[in-house]
Amino acid sequence: MKQSRQDDIIQDRMRPGVITRDGLLGSDRRSLRDILEADEAEVQRLGLSHAAIAARLRDLRDAGAQGLGEPVTVFDHFEVRVDSVRGLLPCPFPHEGLCRKEFVDVRNLRSDERLTYTEMNIHMIEAHGFYEGTGSPFRQEPATLARVLEISRPVAD
Amino acid sequence: MIALLIAVGVLCVINTGLVILLLVAETLIVDTGECRITINGEKALTVAGGRSLLATLKDESLFIPSACGGRGSCGLCKVTVLEGAGPLLPTETPWLTPEEQKANVRLACQVKVRRDLQIRIPDELFQVKQYRARVTDLADLTHDIKQVTLELEEPPEIRFKAGQYIQLEVPPYALTDEPVYRAYSVASDPADTRRIELEIRYVPNGICTTYVHKHLKVGDTVTLNGPYGEFGLTDSSAEMLCIAGGSGMAPIKSILHEMARTRSPRRCRYFFGARARRDLFLLEPMRGLEKTLPDFRFIPALSNPDPADAWEGESGRVTEVVARHVQDASQAEAFLCGSPLMIDACIQVLRDKGMPDSKIFYDKFS
Repeated sequence: MKQSRQDDIIQDRMRPGVITRDGLLGSDRRSLRDILEADEAEVQRLGLSHAAIAARLRDLRDAGAQGLGEPVTVFDHFEVRVDSVRGLLPCPFPHEGLCRKEFVDVRNLRSDERLTYTEMNIHMIEAHGFYEGTGSPFRQEPATLARVLEISRPVAD
Repeated sequence: MIALLIAVGVLCVINTGLVILLLVAETLIVDTGECRITINGEKALTVAGGRSLLATLKDESLFIPSACGGRGSCGLCKVTVLEGAGPLLPTETPWLTPEEQKANVRLACQVKVRRDLQIRIPDELFQVKQYRARVTDLADLTHDIKQVTLELEEPPEIRFKAGQYIQLEVPPYALTDEPVYRAYSVASDPADTRRIELEIRYVPNGICTTYVHKHLKVGDTVTLNGPYGEFGLTDSSAEMLCIAGGSGMAPIKSILHEMARTRSPRRCRYFFGARARRDLFLLEPMRGLEKTLPDFRFIPALSNPDPADAWEGESGRVTEVVARHVQDASQAEAFLCGSPLMIDACIQVLRDKGMPDSKIFYDKFS
């Protein structure tokens, strides 16, 4: 699909210094539409959906939130720490509502791999299929999410 | 091919010329001149137009809380603009509820002063000043919390209420190209008007916390403004339940100093949550306050003590410890400071114990 004028406006809001200091695009030179389509294809290749990925991120976040800012072990072998700092962030996509500046640090105790995502990541993946641009501080590679967080393909009925 | 390149080059030159022309025209022709800002229907300022309302008020020594330095990315600088602001901008709408939009609340950093304005701000903001201060001490309270002591230079004194916060300015350095501001509760006694203490927890890659933890040195000069906030001691004799974690210690400590100085007879229990022994700090001063205050008890709780800690105090999450200690909270008041997660969990426990929401006061880090 061709990048629309609306996509341009959203992409401008993702640049450094607009919503966050580093922006949401990193060193990615692609258009927003190309980024979205590439990640959509990758998620399909993995046999997953944005909703399933976001649900797993949210489940881990909710379980980790029980630690009230300290690391806790959840779902048998995931150490999760949920922390937040003062402030709220608007989503670059046009709608109302704000995300807390909340960070979720997950360590898979079996593989010893770890990753960090934000409340904004959960929202943008779930609502917009956006995983941020390559090189962005909070870029989430769908394949890495699937591997570290053990997100499996849904079982066919 | 050459003709095409020449055509492209000519077009670029024309474009650049037009842009320069527009910029020059904006500077010379579009003269917003002097504007009048009327505040709360009383105070009137005559200012040069053209800049944001936030920056213009700052030049007039009126400080509206803002954490991002005016980029429209924190949503804190809300003021009511009754007249002269023009239409709401798309950069403002995400931060404003429909009720706020109806009430003409705007982001001061996004509103340009182009004509006379009528605005309304809380009266306490008239008390906010900008201060220059010198760092006189930096102490590691834990592996990730630093105590910063600042001696005020100009003006040399600050008046604040226990529980209030200031905004510390971070100058441009490796992590930021422009000054940014972050809010920190004051930990010291309000009676000590010439210096303030802050307790700042390190956040990896955080602009301000990295500056404080890795760059700030004793002897450095810093800029801050304040005081802000309504969190603080109430005029009541009800029992106090204070609950905090991490750098949430700061405003509670200031409140306790005030209570000790005024010999407050209020019963007060202070639950402080941490993970392990290495995350606890200021134990001695808290034990000292137990002796000074007539009815005060400090209850540190560790959620995951190391075996080496040989911890014999309270164990479990701070919410669990509060639930164990407090049977009926219906007549008490609560003072909470910490992460939104901790505060939300504490509020639920206190509600379960019968405390009405109107008696729960908190300084949420959001």
